[in-house]
Amino acid sequence: MKVNVLMPKMGESITEGTLIKWHKKKGDRVEKDEIIFEISTDKVDTEIPCPEAGILSDIKVFENETVVVDTVVAVVDTDGQLEPESKETKQPVVLEEEKVSSTTQVGGELIDVPMPKMGESVMEGTITKWHKKVGDKISRDEIIFEISTDKVDTEVPSPTAGILAEILFKENETVAVETIVARISTSGGIVKQKKLDVDTEKTELENGSVIENKIIEKTNTQIKKSNKFYSPLVMNIAQKENVAFDELEQIAGTGVEGRVTKNDILKYIADRKTGRPETKQKISEPSISSSAESKIETAHFVEGEGIKLIPMDNIRKRIMYHMVNSRDTSVHVTAVMEVDMSRVHNYVKSNKAKYLKEENVKLTYMPFITYACIKALKEYPYLNASIDGNNIVLKQYINLGFAVAVEPNGLIVPNIKHADEKNIRGLTKAIGELSFKSRNKGLLPDDIMNGTFTITNYGVFGSLFGTPIINQPEVGILGVGTVTKKPVVVESNGSDSIAIKPMMYLSLSHDHRLVDGMLGGKFLRSIKETLENFDTSIV
Amino acid sequence: MSKHYDIAILGGGPGGYVAAIRAAQLGFKTAVVEKDNLGGICLNWGCIPTKSLLKNAEVYDLVSNHAGDYGLSVEGVSFDFNKIIKRSRSVSAKIVKGVEYLIKKNKVDHIKGFGKIKSKSELEILDSEGNSVDSITADHIIISTGARPKMLPTIPVDRKHIITSTEAMSLEKQPKELIVIGAGAIGVEFAYFYSVLGTKVTIIEMLDSILPIEDNEVSQTLEKNFKKRGIEIYTSAKVEKAEIENDIVKVTIDINGEKKILHADIVLNAIGVTGNIENIGLEELGVETYKNHIVVNKDTYRTNIENVYAIGDVIGAPWLAHVASAEAIHCVEKIKGHNPAVIDYSSIPGCTYCQPQVASIGMTEEKAKADGYELKIGKFPFSASGKSTAMGEREGFVKLIFDAKYGELLGAHIIGAEATELIAEVGLAKSLEATFESIVKTIHAHPTLSEAVMEAAANAYGEAIHI
Repeated sequence: MKVNVLMPKMGESITEGTLIKWHKKKGDRVEKDEIIFEISTDKVDTEIPCPEAGILSDIKVFENETVVVDTVVAVVDTDGQLEPESKETKQPVVLEEEKVSSTTQVGGELIDVPMPKMGESVMEGTITKWHKKVGDKISRDEIIFEISTDKVDTEVPSPTAGILAEILFKENETVAVETIVARISTSGGIVKQKKLDVDTEKTELENGSVIENKIIEKTNTQIKKSNKFYSPLVMNIAQKENVAFDELEQIAGTGVEGRVTKNDILKYIADRKTGRPETKQKISEPSISSSAESKIETAHFVEGEGIKLIPMDNIRKRIMYHMVNSRDTSVHVTAVMEVDMSRVHNYVKSNKAKYLKEENVKLTYMPFITYACIKALKEYPYLNASIDGNNIVLKQYINLGFAVAVEPNGLIVPNIKHADEKNIRGLTKAIGELSFKSRNKGLLPDDIMNGTFTITNYGVFGSLFGTPIINQPEVGILGVGTVTKKPVVVESNGSDSIAIKPMMYLSLSHDHRLVDGMLGGKFLRSIKETLENFDTSIV
Repeated sequence: MSKHYDIAILGGGPGGYVAAIRAAQLGFKTAVVEKDNLGGICLNWGCIPTKSLLKNAEVYDLVSNHAGDYGLSVEGVSFDFNKIIKRSRSVSAKIVKGVEYLIKKNKVDHIKGFGKIKSKSELEILDSEGNSVDSITADHIIISTGARPKMLPTIPVDRKHIITSTEAMSLEKQPKELIVIGAGAIGVEFAYFYSVLGTKVTIIEMLDSILPIEDNEVSQTLEKNFKKRGIEIYTSAKVEKAEIENDIVKVTIDINGEKKILHADIVLNAIGVTGNIENIGLEELGVETYKNHIVVNKDTYRTNIENVYAIGDVIGAPWLAHVASAEAIHCVEKIKGHNPAVIDYSSIPGCTYCQPQVASIGMTEEKAKADGYELKIGKFPFSASGKSTAMGEREGFVKLIFDAKYGELLGAHIIGAEATELIAEVGLAKSLEATFESIVKTIHAHPTLSEAVMEAAANAYGEAIHI
């Protein structure tokens, strides 16, 4: 008797589950209540026991596949009979050919193994590891290689049983989806099932169609991920100019219903070629419009009573795109610490005049905070980093950016190149120069590129603390609050007393994708300690 | 107190009335000021009545010259010129009525009179004598006053002997000899019409071919056809002067320095059109104009004056009704705050309704080459089409021009039966940025003329089946 093993119902609200691991292979003997596979749902992960003892005669859902509850996942044959071996080698796509081959040809045939399509937006994959060599015997669904794409890494199971006949691409080679990467000779396995009886054939067909339906369903949901329309011409250009699908999705469309037109993509390519910094902004443009449009109905205002429409200038647009892009990219978490600025405060107070005279610069708290920040960045290089796909980019240099408000309503972030090689005097000078350039349109593109970390000082406007937005592609931004005199409890010689101290809040927004709370806290504490224990000798 | 509107539209042609209807659909309180019938030149004195005339010519040509081709014996075919004109007028009247109904249905006020802009929010309404009779105010004013035939001092139009298109479609008597000056769509259509009816027609064109804006191959094909018809054609010919003497017009032309004098009882001035920018208050308000049209931003159609917009022929080339309508809709939607895609002026079809018909969209081969494109050109002659052979109209071809690099459809040029209908498919393909493959893989019904479009696309890549 054949018993179906179903995707269990794990609760009222759970409608589907993902099969994450098979503990048994097809053909294995299974006992009642023995764990045969593991599933993961949006609520719980669990192991599924076998309902009856017997032979696991068929596996219908593979690892990493998600199916709705009550879907047949496996079949257990309680009579202990293994399904004819043909079953194991059946793959819906090649079903027809196999049937033919089983009657006409004894030598088996070559089955192509393509780079799998991992989703609508994934155009290519890199083969990261071959699990099998040419000549190895492979059973169906056995992992033959691993791939990595810009979305996911995954293992690719064999579509059929047989012998790995050909490997067409080596490890670390990147190929477009559906490119044939290997060929499996089915001889040996399949040929034996020459005398298929009509009944088995029928069940196989049913099985085949079941699987096919499932595949179709899956593809449909993947298509839904991108409901944008791209014209054949745009697709042609994208292909010829190597514009990845992800990039395409990022281009702002000016056509009907926001479609990307020929001109939009050509402009994007031109900008990409010249490497103009605006390219990045253009990339982020659509994410605003698309996300804004999909989430909220954009209000349209007509100039008239009580409403004045002012077109944004370029800098405002760029700030807008940058901010939304950052919010959509990084997982922002903000931590705040209070810093006793007495030492720095005293130093600044007593040396202001001297600096003005000798260096012709106005001494502020900024160089000291910058200095402390650089020190902390050296200690915790993960804050001086970027994320590139699944790579962490650690930068061996510190280009420290700081936000400068530009009248009337702009904002720009120049960065001090190799700030880690500068002392307080050098930092003071650099900050002064870059601020001046920022306010007088004197910045060069290089001044704002390749920053590694940013400080924003909203304290100058009186704010106590804020939750700053990260300057992409960095992973942290330090917000500097205003320094105010406050009564604070100080402990000395075991007794508490209240003193008046210049206090300041530092807030650190860090990208939780890379920097967790512990690291963020340590980093902040390092800055706090440097500032509180500020030593005039370093000046 | 004067009545207030959200949008007031000056001129009721295919720009103005379409703007009015779209505005009403979007909830604007709308008025359209028009001194004549609604529908403008297009419905009253242009597109529509001429199509009626051309159909008469086509049918007459078929019956009198080609009946035998279809095994029909027809004798004693004759026509009544006045009835032909009458039919044209009644077709026009019918369509104008339709527009009047639409305007009423959409609750747009049609203000009969001549509108003059007083300020950026006020229109004065004048009667036919020029007396101020009313005024209205509006938040937005759209100027769509259109264009009229261009005049030259050397060609003194008297509307009797030297006429414009308006007279050409309402003559009381068929001319014996007609000289058409200007071989654009208007000139060529009238030349065809009168030639079929038996008038001796001469065309004078300043540029080097008739329909000079069309692809050269198309122009050459039409020229050959016209010459066979007995139409005399002078290209690269400049009109020096036209003089009326004893009911005969004497036209002096200069062909590369060689003078020639031609005679005709009627001369049609079809050298082009000029925008109606006078006497509507533009100078007083300071609306910027250039040469003979209003300058606008081609995304908002706003003039340099806030809340004052202009669309259609009055903003210059390409002087086409369908462009005016498209601009009208775009302009009104922009006022509403919508964000329609900017009109692509490289994808505007142009049609000439003589026989064989001519239709095109996008770049000519000459232009594409001059712009530095590497081209893939596909041509399919109607002589290889089953349908056109069955129809007995085997003249002409479909020519598609693709950019070799990306496969973009740059232009399409069709001459032959129903070319003006066939161009629609190519227009859709072009606006959707279809490539050669999209057209080739679209299954076209057999047998149809449109198969020629598919085959031309295939031919560009050496894959045509039937040639």
